[in-house]
Amino acid sequence: MTTPRHTFNKAYVNPVGKSVPRIDGKGIVTGQTKYAFDVSFPNMLVGKMIRSTIPHGRILSIDTSKAEALPGVRAIITAKDTHNIKFGSNEYFFPHTIDQMAIESEKVRYVGDEIGAIAAVDEETADAALKLIDVKYEELPAVVDVLEAMKPGAPQIHESRNNIAVILPVNFGNADRALKESDYVREDLFYTPAAHMAALEPHVCVGQWETFSNKITLWASSQAPFKCREALAKTLKMDLNDVRVIKMAVGGGFGGKLEMLPMDFAACLLSKKAGGLPVKICCNREEEFLATRRKHGMIYKIKSGVKKDGTLMAITGEVIADGGAYCSYGPTVIAAAIMRIFMLYKIQHFRVTGYRVYTNTPISGAMRGFGGVQAGFAIESHMDMLAEGIGMDPVEFRLKNITTPNMVTINKMVLTTNGLKECIDKAIESCEWKKKHGKQKDICRGIGIGIAADVMGSKMYKSHESAGSIVKVEEDGSVYLFTGAADTGQGSNTALSQIAAQELGVSYSRIRCKSGDTEITPFDTGSFASRVTFISGNATLLAARDAKKQVLNVVAEEFKLNAEDLDIMAEEVINKKDKSIITSFDKALELCYAFNYGRQIIGRGSYNPKTTPIDFRTGEGNVSGSYGFEAQIAEVEVNKETGEVKILKMWDAHDIGKAINPQSAEAQIEGSLAMGIGYTFLENLHFDKKGRPANGNFANYRLPRGFGMPPIECIMVETNDPEGPFGAKGMGEAALLPTSAAIANAIFDAVGIRIKELPITPAKIIKALKEKEVNEKNQQQHLTEAKTL
Amino acid sequence: MTTLTINNKKYDLDLKGHEILLEVLRNNLGFTGTKTACEESECGTCCVNIGGKSILSCITLACDVADKAITTIEGLADGEKLHPVQQAYIDHGAVQCGFCIPGLIMSSKALLEKNPEPTREEIDYALDGNLCRCAGYLKIYEAVIHAGKEMKQLAGTNKN
Repeated sequence: MTTPRHTFNKAYVNPVGKSVPRIDGKGIVTGQTKYAFDVSFPNMLVGKMIRSTIPHGRILSIDTSKAEALPGVRAIITAKDTHNIKFGSNEYFFPHTIDQMAIESEKVRYVGDEIGAIAAVDEETADAALKLIDVKYEELPAVVDVLEAMKPGAPQIHESRNNIAVILPVNFGNADRALKESDYVREDLFYTPAAHMAALEPHVCVGQWETFSNKITLWASSQAPFKCREALAKTLKMDLNDVRVIKMAVGGGFGGKLEMLPMDFAACLLSKKAGGLPVKICCNREEEFLATRRKHGMIYKIKSGVKKDGTLMAITGEVIADGGAYCSYGPTVIAAAIMRIFMLYKIQHFRVTGYRVYTNTPISGAMRGFGGVQAGFAIESHMDMLAEGIGMDPVEFRLKNITTPNMVTINKMVLTTNGLKECIDKAIESCEWKKKHGKQKDICRGIGIGIAADVMGSKMYKSHESAGSIVKVEEDGSVYLFTGAADTGQGSNTALSQIAAQELGVSYSRIRCKSGDTEITPFDTGSFASRVTFISGNATLLAARDAKKQVLNVVAEEFKLNAEDLDIMAEEVINKKDKSIITSFDKALELCYAFNYGRQIIGRGSYNPKTTPIDFRTGEGNVSGSYGFEAQIAEVEVNKETGEVKILKMWDAHDIGKAINPQSAEAQIEGSLAMGIGYTFLENLHFDKKGRPANGNFANYRLPRGFGMPPIECIMVETNDPEGPFGAKGMGEAALLPTSAAIANAIFDAVGIRIKELPITPAKIIKALKEKEVNEKNQQQHLTEAKTL
Repeated sequence: MTTLTINNKKYDLDLKGHEILLEVLRNNLGFTGTKTACEESECGTCCVNIGGKSILSCITLACDVADKAITTIEGLADGEKLHPVQQAYIDHGAVQCGFCIPGLIMSSKALLEKNPEPTREEIDYALDGNLCRCAGYLKIYEAVIHAGKEMKQLAGTNKN
């Protein structure tokens, strides 16, 4: 009997560095890919959250009796049904910021706060039941504005003084002295608004409580199924192994699906109360904006000094972040907003203090960029102004101060490969910076730069940041990759499959990838901090290497060769010494499973980067196993009549170590830029007096559309990091960080105005142009007056 | 009894006048390829093709389209052979999370069937109702342009 040969695509051998098609592409374009949004079971119930209708108050009573009496209602839960256990996301670093209940029992802190949940046979019944819930509150004064919330006497939302959940001082060197020694000092104040991830798939889950075994399963739209499992187990008081989280295809996350939400908890508990029927809870778009997670609005005050020669002497400042009703990832978001700069600029004297502040508004958490987008706008605009203040070209200024390869930053980050200079060089060459900068004012055109750096992994989960992979090779030659990593659309299943195929020496078309199921796949902390390609990629590389070794041991035994001399390359087992072909991969697998060997091929890989978490008392820590860098350039044209800004083109030169899949890498950059352009010109989630989103729908919260997307030139800088899988670094977030500043700096170059408050709207441009005109007139008048005197 | 014609097959359904096409497709018939992200005609993820146009199924009453041929994302491929628009979306890396993709493909197909060589402005106009949060649109535009070329060529071959 012959084993049927596995058919494979020869074009996809040695897939690393090739733009192979996405592993899930066909499923997506045919509509057959299953998202949590599509999960359905017989007798499945519709769940809805009971939400606070007031921004701040004490819960006096919740009467559910009328709703319970409604035919078709199957279960209602309130805090009484829970263990009242708090959850949060910075447990390891900031334990006091674990401040949210899955179902609030005593107090509500924003409109939308979860105080219970309902399961009914259908949507109409669930909606009708919601209206029958009678909640009595003792209403408390609410505070929506972040600066008001910090004033003494402001409504107290949690225990913390002046609503400041976390004060984070970051202090190195002697900033005051260095400012005094500077030739030029300036201070700027920047405002960046709240925004929303606005993933197109809403938050959605199906929970089922197996009553006979007391185990739960959650079909989730999650970026971090293992974190979700941990939070579910904690709040439901269950053992980890009694909780299974199955990540379905995820319709976008961008940070918003990083945490367990009360709805995940509620779906499981409702299912228990309903006798084990599955319960599906799906946010509508209004709930998405109101009661999931959002980006922190920030006020960034920054004062810096430079020498005449451009040496950056000191940076000082304050960052205030509007956190909303609970902490979520806030404490570490503000830390990242302050400390990312150390990866970028060589700076010895630094003192910036961060304040993460509660308000009675929707909860701020992690959003793509993790504080770096707000900081990027402030710092990269400010750097341009410093350069301008000493009459230096902004590119020269940056080149003088940027970090270099193989250096240790002031906060002990170890930068090994660092392609920042190469990124800047290549970007300015490609955009013809020298020909354009400052030379197109007559046609209201300008060019601006922003630079950024990013981590790949953040050591923010417990004390480790490990990922695991299993590579199983069957006797027909099919290869199964099991990874805990969560593909949320960025294409990690594709990239990891490429890595597995490359290391195993086979075609990419052999790989089937199963990811993000807490009961089947190895542990992985999740998709965040641009970590998956780097960390999960390394785990996958090791698993494939282990599987390969097992195959080669059998071949060596059979052919009486030395296993160390053998390798698998392009589907053939070869002798490395003379490059001769011993046998094919298929035949080798037949051999492994033949009666005299009978060896299953199961490779395992586990990777934990050699990093240290940040010590928040000192600000020191080498959080990432590698660091990514980039330079971004925008060329714009400003219409002085209408205030409109047209982006003519953008350039993004990116040190990604090595592009595992160049097309996917480009797509990450383009997607980041689109999001960055949206945040620069359109997106501004604002709140009414009750702290509710005033524009919480797609008609009023404007996302970028295809219209107006500029051409983007992606330049891959491959520094081949020795620690990365095939040299690769992570790159999902960095391209979003400098976008707003690059555009704002280009606007300055075009028409000489500085906009320090996002979004940049035509009205702000017109206003700034008028102010500039008045200032210039006044100056001229002063000059004339001075002359006549 | 209402009969809906979906992807060339007839479905007899007991529908009430207020039932929305999107919900009938997803909930009654299991065509879950059609998505929604807003339920209020702002995102385009629910687009299906009716009468050569890309139609928002979230604001279409099912009974109103009873006499029309409805094509959903599930109806484009011929077995394993993908429609040129589907193939182009894969080839040009236009797909990321994919939640918006069925709607975008339906809008792209409706455009290209009328106009296989659209200008940038014509694509802007045809896809203006479709949001994508991941991909930044550029690769989607590339896919549309290439799919149009492919469709034109195929149409030419069929005529000969």
